[in-house]
Amino acid sequence: MVRWFNKQAAKIAGVTPVHAMHPVSWIAAITLVWFVTSSAGFAQDIVPPVGVHQGEDVAQPIEFPHNIHVEVNKINCMYCHTYARRSKVAGIPPTSKCMGCHKIIATDKPRIQKLTEYWQKGESPKWKKVHDVPDYVHFTHERHLKKLVFDRDYPVEDVKEICAFCHGQLKDMTVAKKAKPLNMGWCVSCHEKNGGPSDCWKCHK
Amino acid sequence: MIGKMKRRDFLKALGLGGTATLAGCDLPTTVTLEEGKEDVISYLLPEEYAIPGIAVWYASTCTQCTAGCGIHGRVREGRVLKIEGNPDAPINAGKTCQMGQAGLQGHYNPDRITTPMVREGGKLVPTTWEKAQALLNEKLGAKSSLNADRVAWFTGTLSGHQRALVVNHLDAVGSKQHFAHEIVNASVWQAVCRDMLDDPMPRIRLDKAKLILSFGADFLATWISPVHFAGQYSKFRTAADRGALIQVESKMSMTGGSADLWVAIRPGTEGALALGLANYLVANGVNASALSAEVRDKIAAHDLQKVASITGIASAQIERIGKALKGRNPSVVLAGASVEGQAQGYEAVAAIMLLNVLLGNIGTTIEPSGKFPFPQLEAKSGGTRDLLAFAQAVQQKQLDVVFFYGANPLYSAPVALKLDEQINNIPFKVALAQFPDETAMHADLVLPVSSYLEDWGTHVAAYQAEQNQISVQQPLMQKLYAETRGFGDVMVSLLAMRNAAQWGAFADSYGYMKNVFTNMKANVGAAALSNDEFWNNSLQTGMVKVDAPVRKHTLKPVVPNVAANSTDVAFPFYLVPSPRMGLFDGRHANLPWLQESPDQIAKVVWDSWAEMHPSTADKLGIAHGDVIKVESEHGALEVKAYLVKAIHPDAISIPLGQGHTEYGRYAKDRGVNPLKILKPITDAKTGELAMYATRVKVSKTGKQDVIIRLGHSDTQHGRRLVRTVSVDVLKRTKGA
Repeated sequence: MVRWFNKQAAKIAGVTPVHAMHPVSWIAAITLVWFVTSSAGFAQDIVPPVGVHQGEDVAQPIEFPHNIHVEVNKINCMYCHTYARRSKVAGIPPTSKCMGCHKIIATDKPRIQKLTEYWQKGESPKWKKVHDVPDYVHFTHERHLKKLVFDRDYPVEDVKEICAFCHGQLKDMTVAKKAKPLNMGWCVSCHEKNGGPSDCWKCHK
Repeated sequence: MIGKMKRRDFLKALGLGGTATLAGCDLPTTVTLEEGKEDVISYLLPEEYAIPGIAVWYASTCTQCTAGCGIHGRVREGRVLKIEGNPDAPINAGKTCQMGQAGLQGHYNPDRITTPMVREGGKLVPTTWEKAQALLNEKLGAKSSLNADRVAWFTGTLSGHQRALVVNHLDAVGSKQHFAHEIVNASVWQAVCRDMLDDPMPRIRLDKAKLILSFGADFLATWISPVHFAGQYSKFRTAADRGALIQVESKMSMTGGSADLWVAIRPGTEGALALGLANYLVANGVNASALSAEVRDKIAAHDLQKVASITGIASAQIERIGKALKGRNPSVVLAGASVEGQAQGYEAVAAIMLLNVLLGNIGTTIEPSGKFPFPQLEAKSGGTRDLLAFAQAVQQKQLDVVFFYGANPLYSAPVALKLDEQINNIPFKVALAQFPDETAMHADLVLPVSSYLEDWGTHVAAYQAEQNQISVQQPLMQKLYAETRGFGDVMVSLLAMRNAAQWGAFADSYGYMKNVFTNMKANVGAAALSNDEFWNNSLQTGMVKVDAPVRKHTLKPVVPNVAANSTDVAFPFYLVPSPRMGLFDGRHANLPWLQESPDQIAKVVWDSWAEMHPSTADKLGIAHGDVIKVESEHGALEVKAYLVKAIHPDAISIPLGQGHTEYGRYAKDRGVNPLKILKPITDAKTGELAMYATRVKVSKTGKQDVIIRLGHSDTQHGRRLVRTVSVDVLKRTKGA
């Protein structure tokens, strides 16, 4: 947190030389720093990408309710998408992880009964892929989480706000729906605003 | 208008026209990806060590040729995606060749056989493993009345536990008929080394040599263990005192292309040249007292003038080679397939080996190999003698059941052996095949086997590097096709049919392999490890190191009875069926990467061609790209003429690998197969097929065709893309 605070202070100092600042600006700056550090909400130092995409409704083998898991039960995204911090892909959770809770929870619900059927057959549901980039794009969840969450000491419990940059607000969806364009111009605009790399080979390799 | 048009204008016009044409097509606007079309399947239970998106490397062994290089396979999400050399493997030290890289395309090949097939009413039709096994049980089970030696196995080079399983099966049936066949082999070299040194596969140390004199040994591409020798060669070349390579052959090989001095020799006269060089060395003070009087007489009879007239090499050139041999010590002299493949092949190789004796190379650059302590696992190196013996057995109707595995005799057998016509003399032919090759398509029962990236096995390469070892092959991923089975799985079930008491205990080859490793542990000095530790270590490293006592070379120089070939007026040229890194003996013709990768000398892709010297073509009135007829006593091939100076005027070279009549979409009906028109001449001593001794005549057909090759042209058309400078200028300016 201290490291992050220093970085912010340096950033503000960089914009306006300290000696030239009006007292009111000082107050504003301190207030801003206080606000940013104390607020667990939005990340003021990072500018989220702009742009929306009207995604198609994708029928999944089980209509998985992201909203219940994220909004009602407050489960962290990375609890299920556990590979996101370790690998280029976030990973669909193993069926055993679903069953970890659903052996006991909500077993009377039809969706859970369907899941249990899969589990008893020893199969994973054939989920349909919603978010994808072309094969010539090397996107990695691991680097983005490192930069946007862990290196900034951003509160991990709020990671869903960072995920929402590219995936939209899953707390408002049942099955996932593509909500952002995920095309090159969109990626680049975010990289430009937030100091991401601009070398071609960073993504195309 | 065209005449006045400049290149730039032309491109502009093309651009406009191009846009107009394209507008009618499905013009891609932006890259979009479909949502919800692709399946994404999670693990049922997470594997602790497997993180999606992060690759894991597993060790195994390459089986693309017989060298037995160690490999690492990159596996992600349960798929093997890339093959690299295993840095700890003494044979290849982390390197692979293009054939090794292309192994993936065999594994993922769209023409893999995916179900068992049985011949019904003359046609192969899909069947089930249960029915296939019932059929095998009927023919070969404990109750069958088969006469022992009427059951045979026909394989490629086989070693390790695959060989042990085949031998076990033959023992169980009571037969001794195991034919091992390889077109690209070093059988004659091995025979000479065995007779002269008491060591069939001595270690070659190119890295210790200051001069390599190679008689047609293409050690960078096809000879014995190419990746191993390429590693040694790079040390030889980068040493402070840079080694020199002299290559003597009738048609330039890849190794020849790298030589400092490349000498074209009249086909089949290499033995005479070797004796001529020995003559030069003895005349110039090299001590020949190690040789018998009889050998010295042979050498004395080959003076430079005589040898020059036999070989067609100027005596000054022979002297130059002799001088290099005498001056640059230690040296190493090698003999390859074009020397071995003559009626006097053994004699010629023996004469070449004498040079090593004279120059004191035995013990310095030709080192004794280790005596492998488990003879039952040693490689049964294939050759062509077994092909001839097999053809004879078929002709005489001596075989009732033959199993084919890892060899394709119906592709490689010359027409003169009549194997095509007579293969049905074998009433029951079983092919354990991965692809629909010529032999599998003639079989009565086809059993689909796993690819080498899905299968268990152990290999003992015939040529072992400094550290003797058993190379371990393990599945890098699950089987792509549920109905294929590992070679070991098939063998265990075949053996259980005969001897349920002993073999019924193993469920599959995995069970067999684990048992084998448990038993092996104590014999390879690993008794201190637990069974699991030893098994895991072996899989992790891809090898089991074996301490092999080093042999002692006992020198017994053979008297080389080198005789000149007679001339043949009707068939004036020698056919050189040259193998190459890539398609090899034809087994890789179904791998598009290797079809696409150009021949190392001619740069031709996806095709066959006949190389001939421009002076020969001139005499016959043949131009580059003419379709010519190359005819031997046993048949004719129509193929495009390729004029190149890197060939002796008496030789016509058609590369091996093409001309498949089956073998999937990439290989079938493409080019010609020079093996088909070979005359079945054999080497007198070893009985191997003299593959380079067939005489041919050449005539025009009047047709013309385009030869597709990389770059298409030998000149830069004045564009100076690659700038050159003469040696004189370079010396004067020091490259500035």
